[in-house]
Amino acid sequence: MAAAADRVEAPSYADVDRSVLRLIAGLPGVKYWAWIGFNATLVAIAAFLWIRQVYVGMGVTGLRQPTMWAVYITTFVFWVGIAHSGTLISAILFLFRTRWRTAVYRAAETMTLFAVATAGLFPLIHVGRVWNAYWLLPYPNERYLQPNFRSPLVWDAFAVSTYLTVSAMFLFMGLIPDIANARDASTGIRRKIYALLCLGWKGTDRQWRHFSMAYLLMAGLATPLVLSVHSVVSWDFAMAQLPGWHSTIFAPYFVAGAIFSGVAMVITLLVPMRKILGIEDLLTPWHFDNLAKVVLLTSLIVTYSYITESFMAWYANDPIEQMTFHMRYYGPYGYLFWMMVLCNCIIPLLLFSPSIRRNMVMLFIISIFVNIGMWLERFVIIAGSLAASTVPSQWGFYTPSWTEIGILVGSFAWFIMLFSLFARFLPIVSMTELKEGISWLRQALRNDYFSEAQ
Amino acid sequence: MSGDIELVGSFADEHECIHGVEALRGSKIQPARVFTPFPSEHLTEALGYGRSPVRKIVLAGGITGVLTGIALTVGTSWEWNLIVGGKPVVSIPPFIIICFELMILFGGISGLLGFIFNAGLPEVGEIEGYNERFGSDRFGVVVRCPESDSGRVEALLKEAGAENVYRESA
Repeated sequence: MAAAADRVEAPSYADVDRSVLRLIAGLPGVKYWAWIGFNATLVAIAAFLWIRQVYVGMGVTGLRQPTMWAVYITTFVFWVGIAHSGTLISAILFLFRTRWRTAVYRAAETMTLFAVATAGLFPLIHVGRVWNAYWLLPYPNERYLQPNFRSPLVWDAFAVSTYLTVSAMFLFMGLIPDIANARDASTGIRRKIYALLCLGWKGTDRQWRHFSMAYLLMAGLATPLVLSVHSVVSWDFAMAQLPGWHSTIFAPYFVAGAIFSGVAMVITLLVPMRKILGIEDLLTPWHFDNLAKVVLLTSLIVTYSYITESFMAWYANDPIEQMTFHMRYYGPYGYLFWMMVLCNCIIPLLLFSPSIRRNMVMLFIISIFVNIGMWLERFVIIAGSLAASTVPSQWGFYTPSWTEIGILVGSFAWFIMLFSLFARFLPIVSMTELKEGISWLRQALRNDYFSEAQ
Repeated sequence: MSGDIELVGSFADEHECIHGVEALRGSKIQPARVFTPFPSEHLTEALGYGRSPVRKIVLAGGITGVLTGIALTVGTSWEWNLIVGGKPVVSIPPFIIICFELMILFGGISGLLGFIFNAGLPEVGEIEGYNERFGSDRFGVVVRCPESDSGRVEALLKEAGAENVYRESA
């Protein structure tokens, strides 16, 4: 194990600081601002389309009876799902003391916050009369009538806003010691801003003692929260008595799908990021190998859910349910269903190969397929089930308008822009946890842990 | 005490720092503070601290969240006693979801505020003994002691592996 000893003893705590702090040092160049400008332009176009929708009305979308939930709600569920892997990696794997999470968790957690922030826009866009969106809040109307707490839409408002708040607090807490590090390494106005953001953190025993307890408890709270949020999102559908929606497996099925798509999005972001920022030494193939294993596992769970869902429709022997699934496979959206199966069930099987799990280009391509597949999954469930419901005379197939497509593209640009800004001005890799990992490895080597393990 | 001085021992390794703290406490000397670049459970144990009161604050926050959820859902249902679809006015299963989410929300906010309050943040002034390297790659043990004890403290810290022991202020 001598070789391993050399490898892990090589980086020092100062090496970690140098590797991470150089990413946020100085001012970004023209290419960076061009990238931000490109994304900001797409966001501006989406904002224009939305303002036009508010002004003209919901007729500018493709939403018509009976398909009144389509691209906007699909995209809302997609972004909430994307958010889930961040909390999985930052909170659940923290509780399990999983060592490989340290290098990737900050990026995943940042992705969570911005994905929830993006998701939160879609109900506002979807409701049309956005000035009445506050009706979702527990606020009585002029007759002192409160929102109906039996409604899954109200549960959703509570779940998503709690998730946004807790994710932001969890991210902020983890950032405090790292921003203090950045403060000590910077000068001028930047030093003052960092000093303000880190609340004057100095890393005393007193500060760490309370930090550790609060961080542990926050992870403990975030863990059931992450499982509850996508369960609640799934109940937006499962509580309705619509064939294709009204299913008891929706909560675990959606949670698995959320983690599947979210970890794929982490890979989509991290593969180019490690190259652009030159942090191949921090984000190694070992990290990606572990992420890919999570994608593979959740892909198998999602595939199992698809089979179970179809089996239940067949076994229940309910003609309407069977017709819904028949339309799902062979109806006008059938090609989307089979694309979804290809993206979510078949292509991820390539990850059984260890060499593919460590091949960055292949991983990136597979992760893009998974992202597309998971968006399609939500579309097939949401719009597909509404379009072909119980009475064939009421069937109506939906086609998205350019307004909806523009806002969908804008949401990706908005998310990427926020993530790019964060990665350039705040530590995107946790220095604190990497140092903790180095200390753990030093101690393990000192105790000859590895030779014992052999 | 006005006659006391502050000695700072700088360590390159977490475990040497812990040994230093243990050696000091073994000689009935409690360090004034210890700076570390990352949290260390062993160090907290070596310093003889109990569990942080943040956990009680989070518990109180969580309970407050549940009670707020009950007050909001049950209270508003009672206020407007309208039976919809033959369902009970107070429907426990859906209300549990609201109570659960508020428990997490209030617990989380309490945790953050409890941490900030107990950790003495925001820290506006300088803390004596702080060195920028203690946030990066060194561990600092600050000991306040009478001038007469300085030799003994210095010897204990060096024996534990301190790279450097220096006087912070007179």
